[in-house]
Amino acid sequence: MTDRGGFEGLDSCVHCGFCLQACPTFLATGDESDSPRGRIELMRALETGELAPADPGVALHLDRCLGCRGCEPVCPSGVSYGRGLEAARALLTARRGVPPLVRAALGALTGADVSRVVYALARLVRATGIPSRLAGWGRIRFALGMLAATKPVRNAEFGMRNRSSRVNSAFRTPHSAFTPVTLFRGCVMEGLFSHVHDATIRTLQVNGYAVREVPAQVCCGALHAHAGLRDEARRLARTNVAAFGDDDTPIVVNSAGCGAMLKEYGHLVDVPGDGARFAARVRDVSELLAERGPRPGAPLDVTVAYDPPCHLLHAQRIAEPPERMLRAIPVLRVISMPDAAQCCGSAGLFTLVEPAMSRAVLAPKLASLAEARPQVVATGNPGCLMQLGAGLSAAGVPAAVRHPVELLDESYRAAGYYA
Amino acid sequence: MTGGGEGGRGGRGESLAAALGEIVGARHVRTALPERITYARDGLPTHRRVPGVVVLPGSRDEVVAVVRLLAALGVPFVPRGAGTGLSGGALANDDAVLMVLTRLNRILAIDPRNRIAVVEPGVVNVRLSAAAAPHGLYYSPDPSSQTACTIGGNVAENAGGPHCLKYGVTATHVLGLEVVLADGQVVELGSPGGEPWGPDLVGLFVGSEGNFGIATRIRVRLLPVPRAIRTLLADFSALRTAGEAVSAVIASGIVPAALEMMDQSCINAVEDSVYAAGYPRDAAAVLLVELDGCREEAVAADADTIAGILRAHGARDVLSAADAKQRERLWQGRKKAFGAMGRLSRDLVVQDAVVPRSSLPDVLEAIGRIAAAYGLTVSNVFHAGDGNLHPNISFDGRVPGLKARVDQASGEIMAVCIAAGGTITGEHGIGLDKLRYMPLIFDGDALAAMRAVRLVFDPLERVNPGKVVPVHACREWSGVRSAQWGVRSAADRDRSSNSALRIPHSAFES
Amino acid sequence: MSLVDRVRALLGDDAVDVATTPDGVPRVAPGSPDAVALLLGTAREEGWRVRVEGAGTWLPADAPADLALTTRRLDKVPAIEPQDLSATAEAGIGCDLLRQQLADGGTWLALDPPGLAGRTLGSVVATATAGPLRQGFGAVRDHLLGVTFVTGDGRLVQSGGRVMKNVAGYDLTKLAAGGFGAFGVIVLVHLRLRALPRADQTLVLEGSREDLAQVAEDIAAAAVQPAAHELMSPALARRERWMLAVRFAGSAALVSAEEAALRAASGGRFTALRADEAHALWMRAAESFATRPVTFRVGGLPDSSDELMDLLQHQVGDEWISASPGIGAIRWGGETTVDRLRRLRRTLAGLEVPLTLERAPWPVRAAVGHFGAYREGVGPLVAGLRRTFDPGDALVVAVEGTE
Repeated sequence: MTDRGGFEGLDSCVHCGFCLQACPTFLATGDESDSPRGRIELMRALETGELAPADPGVALHLDRCLGCRGCEPVCPSGVSYGRGLEAARALLTARRGVPPLVRAALGALTGADVSRVVYALARLVRATGIPSRLAGWGRIRFALGMLAATKPVRNAEFGMRNRSSRVNSAFRTPHSAFTPVTLFRGCVMEGLFSHVHDATIRTLQVNGYAVREVPAQVCCGALHAHAGLRDEARRLARTNVAAFGDDDTPIVVNSAGCGAMLKEYGHLVDVPGDGARFAARVRDVSELLAERGPRPGAPLDVTVAYDPPCHLLHAQRIAEPPERMLRAIPVLRVISMPDAAQCCGSAGLFTLVEPAMSRAVLAPKLASLAEARPQVVATGNPGCLMQLGAGLSAAGVPAAVRHPVELLDESYRAAGYYA
Repeated sequence: MTGGGEGGRGGRGESLAAALGEIVGARHVRTALPERITYARDGLPTHRRVPGVVVLPGSRDEVVAVVRLLAALGVPFVPRGAGTGLSGGALANDDAVLMVLTRLNRILAIDPRNRIAVVEPGVVNVRLSAAAAPHGLYYSPDPSSQTACTIGGNVAENAGGPHCLKYGVTATHVLGLEVVLADGQVVELGSPGGEPWGPDLVGLFVGSEGNFGIATRIRVRLLPVPRAIRTLLADFSALRTAGEAVSAVIASGIVPAALEMMDQSCINAVEDSVYAAGYPRDAAAVLLVELDGCREEAVAADADTIAGILRAHGARDVLSAADAKQRERLWQGRKKAFGAMGRLSRDLVVQDAVVPRSSLPDVLEAIGRIAAAYGLTVSNVFHAGDGNLHPNISFDGRVPGLKARVDQASGEIMAVCIAAGGTITGEHGIGLDKLRYMPLIFDGDALAAMRAVRLVFDPLERVNPGKVVPVHACREWSGVRSAQWGVRSAADRDRSSNSALRIPHSAFES
Repeated sequence: MSLVDRVRALLGDDAVDVATTPDGVPRVAPGSPDAVALLLGTAREEGWRVRVEGAGTWLPADAPADLALTTRRLDKVPAIEPQDLSATAEAGIGCDLLRQQLADGGTWLALDPPGLAGRTLGSVVATATAGPLRQGFGAVRDHLLGVTFVTGDGRLVQSGGRVMKNVAGYDLTKLAAGGFGAFGVIVLVHLRLRALPRADQTLVLEGSREDLAQVAEDIAAAAVQPAAHELMSPALARRERWMLAVRFAGSAALVSAEEAALRAASGGRFTALRADEAHALWMRAAESFATRPVTFRVGGLPDSSDELMDLLQHQVGDEWISASPGIGAIRWGGETTVDRLRRLRRTLAGLEVPLTLERAPWPVRAAVGHFGAYREGVGPLVAGLRRTFDPGDALVVAVEGTE
């Protein structure tokens, strides 16, 4: 970490404005204050002290940033917007503390003990089927829709009955040829998307990876860093660096948000060498699978719209690998959406704390999905899965949301790869 | 920093903001200082003005109502699109209202039969072409900022772009305008088919930098998407040779769709960026030449001819883009080059001079000499086919005394271009940034004539005040004249030039 | 001192010619832009009314005035730059002479205005009369890099420059082009040139107007991009029936490719003309408009061209018509009355189509005006601009009619 805390990442901005149209909030309001360039002005003024965190509008417009970093890949000067934003949010948080809603959400979703109870309850509620029936617009109904979207899709939907989760030995790679990897489990993924973890393990195995579990790992800290809680994020990062040990085993992640955060550890952890070494090991599941092909599965007759998560596409710059995963499934049709690269409005806790802006950002995407009518919307991040799932239910668009790994898993199951 | 407290205009600012809020809705009025600060610059960061109030109307009717309110109150205002302009033209002072037109972003009509589109001013340039694409049409003016800039802003600045070499600048493509004058009156200029209705007021309005009012509806010509395209990348080991090759291409009689030049410093900035296009880093300069048309065989033949000319004039290599993807990459590199300048240094001054094309080799050398004399990094990326230069000076404004040096070097570069028979801006406009150069190319009468025309549209000079025409350099237009009226002697001319050089105005303000 | 003596004292003896005008108005021929400025400055102070003349072959030299100012001695061509494809010419040069000088340098001004070959450049610019080449190369304004003009009160105003792109200040060149001299006397013009085309081919097809209109549409749909694409009435084409004349100009490869595309789109019905035939066709068509008393142009949407020609036929006849259906431009020539012109302009205005009176005897010009039936709010702007550039009302121009 440098002495300017990340603000130095903004220095190369020459105000060209090429980021404006890549910013979902600017597209929603047309207001420079809601654009990357405008926010950079605010951040620079915060750093120099020209503006104070308490000045009217400063927090409003910085809070309204999704942190999707859609501005970064279009920036010719390579401004490190995300890093500047975290520095600015740290300043804001230092001044005003964490808003109660954010604090409560962080506790419920990432707190070691509390979250276990919360997720257990959520799964119970989810199992009743009530959330999917009540899903709609409005804060509560949208939240129910988000919960409903986490529910595993039954195989029956694709005509499959085989529920085995062991890879058929006939299709296994000889044990000696396995590449060992470790799985980063996270909190929301672990609490609500354990079926995606299962699918991740299975598909990796089919492609010659042996997945090792790592105990004592904790939340990645992304939500804390976004909320300006740098110290907490740093504490979590230190724990994770220790937990995953000091070897070079790849750390596989299936949540784009977590992956982006883990790859930032080099800038976060006090001993930069440790953080950087850790970050270098982090791989999205799609990267590992794409390296091996991945191995083709059986046909799935389904139309899929792939929606790249911002933290995969913009933050990690991973575009191709997820599409290669989908192409490994015969017959499956991927339809390209014109605004796919744009944020869905989920953005971590954003959907909870800035619901109006979040829905405004989601709206154009829903409109084009409603027109394209895919059967499945695939995306590799829990927040996006929940946001899109809730939005599709509320808008009455009959499409399921799934992690790309789940689709590959289905295809492998149909191919008889699992015993 | 300029810009005082809330609303800029104190108590009056609050009541003004409230009245504006009545028209556009309170959430589309921005009064807090931090919010106004985000509007303090446009695409040229050297100028900074904090507007008094920012208002974002959502419809033509709201624009009219806001303009009428401001007229009644006598408040000056400044129209602004995406704020990607490069002359400080879309900045408003603390006593003025900044009218942001990004929300007027509807494409109102596309008429494929007549190849016409009608748009609101806030429509982003590239989005119009995207919308016209299903009809096999596109909107031709393509300023490098086309992914962000608005057509309203293009109209105000008479924006250019690489492909204007063959197809003409914005003025060539604007058929008609609905404009709101300073007093709130709505006037339709031109006619649906593009024939002027009376004197060519559309042509006059385009490029008036917001001084004549706000265009709320813009009727533009669309062109058929070329069916055949060839994009050539020629690299040269000397800047001068590249400049000479430009003249040779022009003299060949084949009009390329675009003919762009980038020098080594610029090439490296682009190659370091996400828009790396595969330009040869060891080249002193590259030319990007595009030929297009509807006939494959004709375009191919022309491309071969041009490639031959480039080789004969010293190109080390001429590469032809193999496919659409490579062509796109070559162009993205060129179009994002300005933004990539941020990689070279913290601060940037952009120039926009035009010289006769045959003088490019000499002028480029002179710019190089000036850069060396002042110890500055100057990167050239420009529309060579039009002779439209963009020398960019990269520097770190925190170094004491450096700004003054950059300022002087800019002035010298401009003087070289003017001496070559050129002008001070080809597409960026005068705005604030080039006011000081206006008396170098226009005498007092020409400047006074411009001001007098502006007064016809805006008698109180309330729309975008203080831009384009340096009022102090205008000769008096009516009433008593000097004994030498009408006669522009050499001495007269010298006098106006000298006084211009004494104008205590710098490109830098912050 | 008499007016003529004053002018002689100002500009020298040889600048004034009292004998030659048919209506006995003293004619002054200033030899430089500064002399024009001096003259008009004096006119403003003395209250003289001045009409401006070029070669006298387009607008008749018949406006009532105290003084006729002719640009015929402003006939120098200070610069032709083949390397830059630009030229600077004084306004009084004849288009034919300029064309010859440009061709000597391998360059070309892609304008083919109606009228006699010797029409002055200033006249073409002031009236913005573009010919058939407007289809491929645009209106007169698209060929101008800058102009210098003298206002009605004798100020020499330069606008634009001699470089390809220029947005320094407001574009007063646009006012001068097509202003019919209302805002000043054009004295110097900076031109955008093209290289003399290596190949230049004209093809024609005769038929009924309806038939040819359909062919024209097919051609447009096939994305054929001609330099000119003109539908001419039988009288104008000197044929039995209407004629569609298509011209291609450019590199040999381009012209042969376009010609092939034209033949494909039209079922091979066009006949290619020899160079001398083509030259004669275009020349005659241009000159014909100088032989009729009245010429006007209307500009509508391309898809309304047919309807507009029907309207013209109905209201003023269609004997002399030349139309570029691809861009919706129509030029009409013939004999007609003030009343008919006024009615036609009103009808066209209802269709949002402007009628610009290009050429007519003074009584018709004065009554009808070059412009009129403006859209709301335009009239005051035009009046304001006139006051700005001609505060003493020294320039005799029938900008608007008397209706």
